[in-house]
Order: sequence, then structure tokens, then C-alpha cells
Amino acid sequence: MLQLLCKLASRSPWIYRINAGSCNGCDVEMATTALIPRYDVERLGCKYCGSPRHADVVLISGPLTLRVRDKVLRVYNEIPHPKVTVAVGVCPVSGGCFRDGYSVGADIDHYIPLDVIVPGCPPRPQAIMEGILKAVEVWRARLEESVCCHS
Amino acid sequence: MLPFLKIMLRNLLLGPSTDPFPFAPAKTHKNFRGCAEHDPEKCILCGICRHVCAAGAIQIHPSEDGSGMQYLLWHNSCVFCGMCAHYCPTGALTMSDNWHLAHSGAEMFSNCISDFIPFGACAQCGAKIQPRPQTIIDTLGARSPDRFLLCPQCKRQGIVQNVAQARPTRRQENP
Ligand code: SF4
Ligand code: SF4
Ligand code: SF4
Repeated sequence: MLQLLCKLASRSPWIYRINAGSCNGCDVEMATTALIPRYDVERLGCKYCGSPRHADVVLISGPLTLRVRDKVLRVYNEIPHPKVTVAVGVCPVSGGCFRDGYSVGADIDHYIPLDVIVPGCPPRPQAIMEGILKAVEVWRARLEESVCCHS
Repeated sequence: MLPFLKIMLRNLLLGPSTDPFPFAPAKTHKNFRGCAEHDPEKCILCGICRHVCAAGAIQIHPSEDGSGMQYLLWHNSCVFCGMCAHYCPTGALTMSDNWHLAHSGAEMFSNCISDFIPFGACAQCGAKIQPRPQTIIDTLGARSPDRFLLCPQCKRQGIVQNVAQARPTRRQENP
């Protein structure tokens, strides 16, 4: 029963986005993937949700500035396990063109494990969709793993 | 009522506006700047690309055995601005239209270009100089092809010899 449930669940991951001090370029592209009929990520079963507690896949953009660092970590910790983190853009991975800036704390992967990376500045919507599909695969594997552990 | 029907009819004729990606390949504009590509055969290690790179994605290190340089371009830091390809004097760097760059977190640091570029040799004394591939010989080296393949030391010696040959004749003219 649980096995069947996680098979079904992995067909409709809920997506949550965290803006960790991004320049808004990546956020616009993420909104584009959901809102513009041309890309329409919802036909893949994905849905953007407003609360971190409902989320399955987290999209993070931005270089994790000092100002938002603690808030991002708080929100991230509210997301239920098993979560999958997708870094959108080069900022979360390396800082991109903001690297070594006075307001940029450190690479996000010092705080949050990144499961899928979609490089680009910003990545095009199709690339984000590709990353989400990869993340869903990871998520399915994790779901099945955790079901096996608990049953 | 009527305008609505008109729009409906038009949309029916236009067909779906959704891109079929990921079930079919997506359209890519021919000027789209995707990940950078580096051709080690053409690179002369001038370092201009590293100098202009706003994101600090390019590093050029001496290799361990000292016989060349290791060229690194990290795609996870590159912001696809295309400055490196614009300023590269030999066309070794180009921007491809490849945007299929999504990868797992474990490949974070392996998602880069890593090329070994051996040094060239001075045509006269064999000292290490920057590589001299044919592309740069044909363009920058066209002015003085024989001097272009020398190391700075040999070039200087050549100039001194030329001057030394020219001076005595001048002295004889004006004692
Ligand atoms: S990757 Fe580029 S577009 Fe995205 S947040 Fe960073 S600077 Fe902005
Ligand atoms: S495209 Fe821009 S950011 Fe990328 S390596 Fe070239 S200069 Fe650096
Ligand atoms: S890639 Fe081009 S700009 Fe960069 S070091 Fe080589 S020749 Fe110079």
C-alpha cells in the first residue's frame, strides 16, 4: 500500500522556491516555467506551493547573503523529509558573479546539501524543467527508501 | 458572444502553444549562449579570457611537471556572458548552444573544462614559450613569421645583432 502510495506521490511533486538573495533573474525564470503556457511545468504534475511544510522539491536561487542566511535555514528546516534540493542558477553553487562579495556568506552547500544543480545565469526554463525532472527521480528513490526503512 | 467565438476559433486553428519539451527536443535560438567550449589545440595561454571573466570561472595553473599549463573553466561559476569568447584572439573559446547542463550535486566540481596545454619551444634555443598554434601564426605572426617563433631572449639577441651590424657602417660614414 505504501509502495503504491509513493509511486503515485512521485507523479506530483510539490515545489517550493526559496530566494536566498537572488538578483531575481532566476526567480523570474522559475515563475515562467509555471505560469507561461509555453513551458507549463504543471502538466508534469508539479505544483508550486506557498508553504514550506507542503513542499517536496525545493528550488533555491541566489548566493545566500548574510542577511537572509538564518531565515533561509529556518524555512529549509521546516520542509518535511525526504526533501530534494535543486540549485537554480550558478549563484547557489559558486556565488557566480557575486562570489567574494561583502554580503555573500558562503557557498550554500556548506549549509544545505544540493542534490541537483541547474547552472546558468539564469538557466532557461527548459533547463529548469530538466532539473526538476531529475529531482523528481531522486525524490522517488528517497521516498521508496524511507518507506522500506519504516515498514 | 461573437468576439469570444472568434478568439476560440483562432486558438483552435493555431494549435497548442505549449512547447512539447521534455517529450520532444526544445527549440534553441541560433544565437543562444550556452556552455563555453575550449579547443586546446588553438589556445595560446594568453590569459585574456581569465582576465575578462567577471565570474572568475577560468583558472590557468602551471602543471605539476612544468611542461605546460592546466586550463580550467568551471561551468558552475560561468554566467554565460560570452566575454571570453569575444576577446579570445585565436577563437579557442566559443559559446555553444548547449544548455543541457543539469547535473547531480555529486558532479558539482567535475562539471568543468579541464585541458592540459603544453608549452611551445623557441625555434632557436628550445626554451619554453607560449604555444604557437597555426591559427595565431597565420594572424598575429604574419608580420614577421621568423621572429614570432622565438623566445624573448632570442628576439632581443637578434635585435642587438642587427644593430651591431648597422652601427659600424654608420661610424665609417661620420668619423
Ligand atoms: S544565477 Fe544569475 S540570474 Fe540567477 S540569481 Fe544568480 S546572478 Fe541572478
Ligand atoms: S562566458 Fe563569461 S563568465 Fe563564462 S567563462 Fe566566459 S567570461 Fe567567464
Ligand atoms: S582560451 Fe583564448 S583567451 Fe583564453 S588563454 Fe587560450 S587563447 Fe587566450
